[in-house]
Amino acid sequence: MHILYLIFVDPFMQMVHSPDLLMQTLWDGLVGGVLYALIALGFVLIFKASGVFNFAQGIMVVFAALTLVGLHEHGVPAFVALGLTVLVMLVLAFAVERLMLRPLVNQSEIILFMATFGLTYFLVGFGQLVFGGSPKVMITQDLYLPSGALEWKGNFGFVSFQKIDIAAVIIASIMVAVLAVFFQRTRIGRALRAVADSHQAALSVGISLEQIWVIVWFAAGVVALTTGIMWGARSEVSFSLQIIALKALPVLILGGFTSIPGAIVGGLIIGIGEKLGEFYWGPLLGGGIENWLAYVIALGFLVFRPQGLFGEKIIERI
Amino acid sequence: MPSLDPSLDTLPKLLSHNASAFGSRPAMRHKDLGIWQTWTWAQALDEVRAFSIGLAEIGLKRGDKFTIIGSNRPRLYWAMCAGQALGAIPVPVYADAVAEEMAFVLAHAEVTLAVVEDQEQVDKLIAVAEQLPQLSQVIYDESRGLKNYNHARLISFEDVQAIGRKKLASDADCRQRWEAGMREGKGKDLSVILYTSGTTGRSKGVMLTYENTIISARNANAFDRLDEREEVIAYLPLAWVGDYVFSYVQAFTAGYCVNCPEAQDTVVQDRREIGTTYAFAPPRVYENLLTITMVRMADAGPFKRKVFDFFIRVARRWGEKILDRERVPLHARLLYALGDFFVYGPLKNQFGLSRVRIGYTAGEAIGPELFRFYRGIGLNLKQLYGQTEASVYVTAQPDGQIYCDTVGTASPEVELKISDSGEVLYRSPGVFAGYYKDPEKTAEVLTADGWVHTGDAGFFDPKNGQLKIIDRANDVGRLTDGTVFAPKYLENKLKFFPNIREAVAVGAGREFACAMINIDLTAVGSWAERNNVVYASYQELAANPRVYDMIAQHIDETNRSLAEEAVMAGAQIRRFLILHKELDPDDGELTRTQKLRRGHIIDRYSPLVEAFYNGSTDAQITTQVTFEDGHKGAIAARVTIRDLKPAPVPAAKSAKMERAA
Amino acid sequence: MRAPAANETALGESLLAVEDVSLSFGGVRALTGVSFDIRKGEIRAIIGPNGAGKTSMLNVVNGFYQPQAGRISFKGMVRKSMRPYAAAQGGIARTFQNLALFRGMTTLDNILAGRTLKMHRGFFWQLLRYGPALREEVEHRRRVEEIIDFLEIAAIRKVQVGRLPYGLQKRVELGRALAMEPDLLLLDEPMAGMNLEEKEDMSRFIIDVNQQYGTTIALIEHDMGVVMDLSDRVVVLDYGRKIADGTPDEVKRDKDVIRAYLGETH
Repeated sequence: MHILYLIFVDPFMQMVHSPDLLMQTLWDGLVGGVLYALIALGFVLIFKASGVFNFAQGIMVVFAALTLVGLHEHGVPAFVALGLTVLVMLVLAFAVERLMLRPLVNQSEIILFMATFGLTYFLVGFGQLVFGGSPKVMITQDLYLPSGALEWKGNFGFVSFQKIDIAAVIIASIMVAVLAVFFQRTRIGRALRAVADSHQAALSVGISLEQIWVIVWFAAGVVALTTGIMWGARSEVSFSLQIIALKALPVLILGGFTSIPGAIVGGLIIGIGEKLGEFYWGPLLGGGIENWLAYVIALGFLVFRPQGLFGEKIIERI
Repeated sequence: MPSLDPSLDTLPKLLSHNASAFGSRPAMRHKDLGIWQTWTWAQALDEVRAFSIGLAEIGLKRGDKFTIIGSNRPRLYWAMCAGQALGAIPVPVYADAVAEEMAFVLAHAEVTLAVVEDQEQVDKLIAVAEQLPQLSQVIYDESRGLKNYNHARLISFEDVQAIGRKKLASDADCRQRWEAGMREGKGKDLSVILYTSGTTGRSKGVMLTYENTIISARNANAFDRLDEREEVIAYLPLAWVGDYVFSYVQAFTAGYCVNCPEAQDTVVQDRREIGTTYAFAPPRVYENLLTITMVRMADAGPFKRKVFDFFIRVARRWGEKILDRERVPLHARLLYALGDFFVYGPLKNQFGLSRVRIGYTAGEAIGPELFRFYRGIGLNLKQLYGQTEASVYVTAQPDGQIYCDTVGTASPEVELKISDSGEVLYRSPGVFAGYYKDPEKTAEVLTADGWVHTGDAGFFDPKNGQLKIIDRANDVGRLTDGTVFAPKYLENKLKFFPNIREAVAVGAGREFACAMINIDLTAVGSWAERNNVVYASYQELAANPRVYDMIAQHIDETNRSLAEEAVMAGAQIRRFLILHKELDPDDGELTRTQKLRRGHIIDRYSPLVEAFYNGSTDAQITTQVTFEDGHKGAIAARVTIRDLKPAPVPAAKSAKMERAA
Repeated sequence: MRAPAANETALGESLLAVEDVSLSFGGVRALTGVSFDIRKGEIRAIIGPNGAGKTSMLNVVNGFYQPQAGRISFKGMVRKSMRPYAAAQGGIARTFQNLALFRGMTTLDNILAGRTLKMHRGFFWQLLRYGPALREEVEHRRRVEEIIDFLEIAAIRKVQVGRLPYGLQKRVELGRALAMEPDLLLLDEPMAGMNLEEKEDMSRFIIDVNQQYGTTIALIEHDMGVVMDLSDRVVVLDYGRKIADGTPDEVKRDKDVIRAYLGETH
C-alpha cells in the first residue's frame, strides 16, 4: 500500500539519496535539542533541589536576556553588563528565597507551583516596565560571539553550519559539564542532592535549606541567562521567547524531572526527532508537525515509562 | 616455582624462600575499610618474623600447642606460620563453634596460647576459662570492645609484634637464632592438628606432618598446573583442612596470592573484584548462586526470560562439549558465543567466576542439573573427594574426564582400593600420622601398612573407571525385605531440587523408606511471593499444603528415577513430612561443615519417625533449640505426614529383583 | 588527653540541660515545665507511655520545635531555641522514629552526608578534586569506612537505601549520625520494629559508641529490658510532664511510674 511505502520506505530512501540534507537536518535538530536541554536544565535544577516546578523559568530566560541588552543600551560595556546581569540573577535568587520560598516552606507543592505563576507575571510586568515591550536585538557582536556560517562542500552536497550555533553547542556543553561535576564532587553539590531527597534528613545533618535554595535558584538563573543569550542571538529578545519554556515540558517528561543527563538526552531526542520528523514525514501530514510531535512523543512516554529515561524508578518497600 | 626443592620441607622455610626468590610478588590481600591492602612475600615474612619472635618472648616453645580462632584474616595465617617457625603446633578451631565445643578441643589438645580475631572469641574463651587451666595467654587482632577488659592474660597482636621488633632491633643475633630455630624444623615434624567435626561421636584431632601437607599440595599444584599467578579467595573456615591446604600450604608451595574478603556477606562481591582464577566451594554455595539467579529470572520481564531460557538450553546442549574441547558444529559454536556474550558471561561475572580456570567442589554429592549448568556456561567445575586424614586429596577429576556422578581418579601418589565389604581405602604420602591422644581410634582407621579406612562405601564405575561414592559405610543398611537402603543416596537425589534444602532419609531396618524434608527458604519464599501464598514464619510456610504438594511432586520424580535403578527401586520413598524448623549445627543436627548427623536427628525427632511407621497422618513434636547467643528454648509444632504412591518398576527389572531377593 | 577548654564539659558534668520547657501546638500541651539534664558520657533513656511527649522533647532539643517557654543550655551556652542546623553544627546528631534517610542515595552517600559539616575546603578546589580538597575527601571517606566497618554494613555499601530492609535502614541512619562525630547523640526508638537478634546488635553498637567514642547518648525506648540494660539514668514523662528521674532501678520502683504504665487500678 502506497501509504505504508510513504511512511516506512520513502523517508529512508530520501535520507540515503541526499545525505547532505540529512546532515543539515540532524545538525539543526542537534542545535535545537541543545537549547531545549538548556531550558530543561533550569527546571531540573530547581525541581531537584527545592521540589518546585518553576513555571517562571521561561520568563527568567527573557528577563535575563532583557537585563543584559537593556544595560548595554544604557551604555554599559558588554562584559560589564554580563557581570552585572549575573549579579542581578543572584539578587533575584535571594529575593525569591526570602520572599517566596521561606514563607511557604511547609506548604504543599501545588501552592509553591502557584507562587511561581505569580513570579512569572511579576517578572513580565516588571520587565516591561523597565525595558519596554518592544523586541530587542541580542548583543552578539559585543560578546564576541561569532556570526555568519561555515559551509562545507562534500562530494555529495552542501551543508551549512551557523557559527553561532556551533558556539551555542560548545557553550552549552561546557555549562552542562561544569554543572555535572559540581553536583557530583563538591560539598554543595552533595548538599543539593541531599535537600532534593529529604528536607528533614538534610536539616538534621546540618545543611541550611535557605542557603541551598539561593544557590540553586542562582544556578538556574545563570542557566537562564545563557539560554537567553543563545536563543536571543538566533532570533530576537522578546517576551514571546518564554513560549520556548513550554517545549521544555516534553523534554522533562522524556528525561525525568530530576536528572541532568536526562535533560540533555531528552533535549537531544526531542530536538533531533522534531526536525527529522518535520523534514521527512511532515509532508505526509501536511507539514507543521514540528509543533506537536514533541508532545506526542512525551505522551507515549507517560504511558510506558512515566519516570522518563533517567528518572528514579520509585520503589516503595512496603 | 619453589615447589620441588626437597630442602624446603616446612612451611616457614617455604615462606623464607618465597620472600627471597620473589619477594615483591603479592602474597596476601585483605579488603579493609573498603580498599584492598596487599602484602608481598617479603612483607609477609617480616610480619611473621616479628610476631614469631614476640611469641617466643612471651613464652611459646617448641612442642607447645596454640590455637587460632577467627575468620580468614592475614594475621591469623601469619600466626600459624609464626608458631610453626618456633616448632609449636597450631590447632585451629572453628570460629562459629559454641564455647563448649571449643573448650573440649582446647582442653584435649592441651593448648597453652590462643590467637583470636575479636571480642566475640575472647568472650567465648573467658566463658570456659576454668576448663582450660593451661591456657595462659590470649592474643587478639581487633581491639574493638576490649578496651575495658582485664589485660592480665590478654595482649594485642600488634603489641606482640612490637615486642618482637624491639628484640630484633636490640639483640644482634636474634634474627639468626630465629632462622636457625626455623631450620631445625623437619618434614616429618608434626605441623598441625585439625579436629574433624565428627558426624558420629566426638571430634578427633588429626595430626598432619609438614610432609603430609606439602607433598599433597605440590602434587595438587602440578595436577592442576597452579602457579604463582593464581588468585584465590579464602572464605572457608580456617579450621577446615581444605582451607588450610588451599589457602596456606598450596599458596606457599606455588607462590600464589590469597585474598581475604571483607566480611562473610561480601564474599561474592569480593570474589568478583579480585577475579579469582581458582575456586573451591561446597555444592551448597554453587546451589545458592544458581537459586538466586533463578529467582531473579523469574521476576524478570518475559523477553529477558525467553532469552535466558533459550541460551541456557544452548549451553546445556553444547557447553560441556566445548569445555571438554570436543568437536562441535560451527553453528553451535556461533550460538554458544552469542550466548556467552549475552548470558553466560554476565552470569559468571555476577557470581565472580569470570576468570576461574578451575572450580572444585566436594564434601557431598552435587546434583547433575547443577553440575551440567555450570559446566554448560563454561565454568570448569570438577569434583574431588578427600578427607582431613588424607591432607585433603584422595581422588580428583582430571580435565576432560568429568562426570557428574563420580568423584574422580586417584590423585597423584594415592593408591585406592575397595574392600570386600565395599568400603573405600587409600594410601598416600598425605596420610595422617594418627589421632592425637587416641591410639585406639587411630588403629581402627589406619592399618599397619598405611591404608586408611574412609568409612565410605563406594565402587569403581565400570564405564570410566572413576570412583563413585554411595554413602557412609555404616549408614548403608537394608529394609526389612533386604533392599539396600543408602540414605545419603536418596537424600542427595532429593536435594538436587532447589526447593529442598536438606533431606533426611529414614528406613534402615524398617519396611519402607521415608523422608523428612527441610524446604529452602529462598526458593520457596520466592515461589510463595509469586503465588500469593502468605506466611509469617518458616514454620508456617513449611506447613502450607501447597508447599507439600510441590514437594510431593519432587519426591515423585525422585521415586521414578529410583524405580529405574535395579538396586534402589525398592527403596522408594513412601511417606514424607516437612520439618517445622531448619536443621542447624547449633542444635547438633548438622556438623559445622553442614553434614547430617543422622543418628542424632533420628533421636531428636523420634516422635516423627514413629508416626511414619504407625500410619499417623500427623504428629506433635517439641524440639529444644539453642539460639545464637547460647540460650535455649523450645519450638512445638504439629507436622503433617503425607503418603506417596511408589512409581512402578519397569517389568524387566522387577524380574531381576525377584531373582536377587 | 588535653585539658578541657573553657567551654568544654568534663566527664560527668551536665552537657545538656532543659529548664522548665513547655511546648504546645494549638490547644494541645505537648510538654509542661519539663526539666532534666544529660551528663557527659552517659546513656540517658527517656521513657513514658505513648503520647507522653518524648519525641516532642527530642525535637525541642534538636531545634525542630521551638518551645513557648523554658531554656536549653548546651555545652554551657544558654538559648531559648535553636534552628536545626545550628543544633547540628553545635554537635547534636539525631535519628528519627520513622527514619529520615536520603532514600535515593546509597548507604555510602548517606553516611558521607553526615560529614557535610566537617567539609571545609574551598568549593573551587573541590571541583578540581586536587590538593587539600582531595586529601580531605580521602580522610572523610576513611572515617565513613570505619563507621561502615563498625556497623558491619560493608555488604550494602553501594545499595540504594530505599531498597534496604527496615533493620538495616536504621543502622545506616545511625551511621550517618555517627559520621557527624556528635557530642550528643539523640536516638528516637532505635530498636523499633526489630527482632531479638537485631535488638542485640543495635544494643551492642550503642554501648560501643558510648564506650569507644565517649559519645553522650539520649534515647527514647519502649523495650524496658533494653532500657534497664543500657542506660545510666532514666527520665520518665507522662502527659507532657516529668514524673520520675533517676537510675533505672530507682525508676522501676517508683510508684508514679508504675501507675502511669499500668493504669490507675494498680
